[in-house]
Amino acid sequence: MPSSQPSSNLNELISQRPDLWRGRRRPSARVLSSERGDLDRWLPDQGWPSGRLIELMPACFGLGELGLLLPVMARQTQAGRPVMLVAPPWIPCPQRLARAGVALDQLIVVREARHAFWAAEQGLKSGLCGLIMLWPPRGRVPERSVRRLQLAAEQGPAPAFVCYRSDQIAPPSLAALRLAIHPGPTLELLRGCAHQNEHFHLGRNNVIAWPGIRHSRRSLTPASDGDPALSAARP
Amino acid sequence: MKQGAQLWAGLHCPALPLMAVWQLSSVAGPLAVHDAVRGQSRLLQVNELARQHGARPGQSLSQALAVLPQLQTRQRCRRSESRLLEQMALLAYQHSHQVSLAPPDTVLLEVGGSRRLRGGLEPLLDALRHQARDCGLPLRLGLAPAAAAACLLARHDLRAGDLATMQHAIGALSVDHLMLKPDQQKAVHDCGLRQVSELLALPRAERARRFGADLNRHLDELQGSLSTPLAQWRPPETFELRLELPVPTVRSDALMFVFNRAMDTLGRWLEVRDQGLSRLHVRLEREDGGPGSAFDIGLAQPGFDQNRLLELIQLRLDGLKLAGDIDAIKLDAETTRERRPAQSDLLDGCNRNDAWPALLDRLGARLGETGLASLAPTSDHRPEHAWTWVPPGTSLPCHDSRPRPSWLLPAPRPCRRDRLTLEEGPERIESGWWDGQDCLRDYWIARDDKGRQLWIFQEHQPRHGWFIHGLFG
Repeated sequence: MPSSQPSSNLNELISQRPDLWRGRRRPSARVLSSERGDLDRWLPDQGWPSGRLIELMPACFGLGELGLLLPVMARQTQAGRPVMLVAPPWIPCPQRLARAGVALDQLIVVREARHAFWAAEQGLKSGLCGLIMLWPPRGRVPERSVRRLQLAAEQGPAPAFVCYRSDQIAPPSLAALRLAIHPGPTLELLRGCAHQNEHFHLGRNNVIAWPGIRHSRRSLTPASDGDPALSAARP
Repeated sequence: MKQGAQLWAGLHCPALPLMAVWQLSSVAGPLAVHDAVRGQSRLLQVNELARQHGARPGQSLSQALAVLPQLQTRQRCRRSESRLLEQMALLAYQHSHQVSLAPPDTVLLEVGGSRRLRGGLEPLLDALRHQARDCGLPLRLGLAPAAAAACLLARHDLRAGDLATMQHAIGALSVDHLMLKPDQQKAVHDCGLRQVSELLALPRAERARRFGADLNRHLDELQGSLSTPLAQWRPPETFELRLELPVPTVRSDALMFVFNRAMDTLGRWLEVRDQGLSRLHVRLEREDGGPGSAFDIGLAQPGFDQNRLLELIQLRLDGLKLAGDIDAIKLDAETTRERRPAQSDLLDGCNRNDAWPALLDRLGARLGETGLASLAPTSDHRPEHAWTWVPPGTSLPCHDSRPRPSWLLPAPRPCRRDRLTLEEGPERIESGWWDGQDCLRDYWIARDDKGRQLWIFQEHQPRHGWFIHGLFG
């Protein structure tokens, strides 16, 4: 049929653009396995999209955003692809990282929050990193910086995670995925096409059981408001 | 190598005094250099523009300024002249192992043995000339089988490949060009001798009687029948460079121009010494003598990449607040023998080995030494002492397999236990009696009302209470 020819060409053209929204069919996206089968199956692209921004929006820091990425960090560092953590809110514990299999000599932490966007952009542009995770500094997140980050991400194979504070509003962006993290921890797909359930329960397997230690559970009545001590912390 | 195969090249910089004081000049205007002659300041050299406007070497300073009021002139500086000569020698050392200085303005190098280095004599001389032009040094090149003759011919841009041509070329020169002592020169003139060939035609004994025995030796050296004793020049052991700016400034593009020149010299020095740069100390000196600025540029991997280094310097300059005009920069290089040339990946051709240190350097230049780090575990039971920041890429083994949270707070923070639900534990840690920071703690996993898992401890010693130390997640 003569009319099918242009439409297939158009399809081809469209498929070359990973930043185009294509509803449920995005077969050509490059992805990086999250190293968890159930999570891979749940994610729209069957993994973390490479060369794209992925926005994480935890209800508060420490809900599992680092644990979520530990398996993929481990695989990337073991393969000699460095991982950059840019301006993390606290200190990633080296023992925990090593235990998860992260090669610590391939892990770079940018401690200076002032140039966080610039540092992340450099890392992405270099095309050498295996994964970059950025915690934008306190305050309004400039749309331009995020846009630049997206452009830099397209130059390299690394997925770029941006983890927003609960009081920060993510600027409009071309992020491939936007995930909220709720207590549980449970992931909620805010952007990206959901083919099944919009929620994904991560489970507690990012917490290691305490072997050989006496288990004693005590429950105390939870107080109504949060602990202010944690929210102000920054290394 | 046979003695007869020696061939010397002389590099002569005619405008050395002018170049030395105005070397990095981007000043477009009539320039001159003056020197004190018998108590009076007289122009020594002038640039082309000044010459066109009537300034002449030998004029007294006041006369020159009367002729050309906009003339900019500086006092002759012999120290910068000898520094410039060293730079020329460094240039020459890239092409020959036998380099000597012939002060004040000539460098000699043996090129007979280096002919094959660039596939012939002409390419070699071309390369020399090109490099000199890149450094902004206009050079004259002389070539002769005898060193003294090469030095003389360089002043006249003459080349003689063999002994006969050389003798002929020297014979054709005027006696004024022999650089004789004033009384010798006067005596030669008084005898009516004008050309070197006429001087050579005289019997030796006659010459010695009339003009002194040292003239004979000088002529023998020029003729190649006596070899000239030469002190061999070696590149300095350490690299130190001070460059003055033509105009004091705070503008970073003007500073970068100077750094660009400095990097040329540094690169050449590293190459001839076969060293890799590991750290560069940079000092910016202020015109008003106030406290200047200083910064270090450390390289993650010893080596030298001019563009990358300039980029790092630019990054540092951008982050610097200069309080006053800078009139000089000073560089000290820390180097190491451990020089690894850039290597490319055989399969994809991309040079990852080099790119990663380059990225670290770039990040480090902007973020500072402490802004970029890796994490390493240390052997201590107390969690707050069990980790440390290390320079990126450091690998330390981790033997601790006890469960630890993903996040550690920089320091434990007091918390209210009644807001938390204890889930698992305790793990007792009792340690540190040896350094006065002993502790007795029970660590628990607890959950807060936001659903986060916290790592908290109850301290029994030295203080009592509950503290948050980390977070899982």
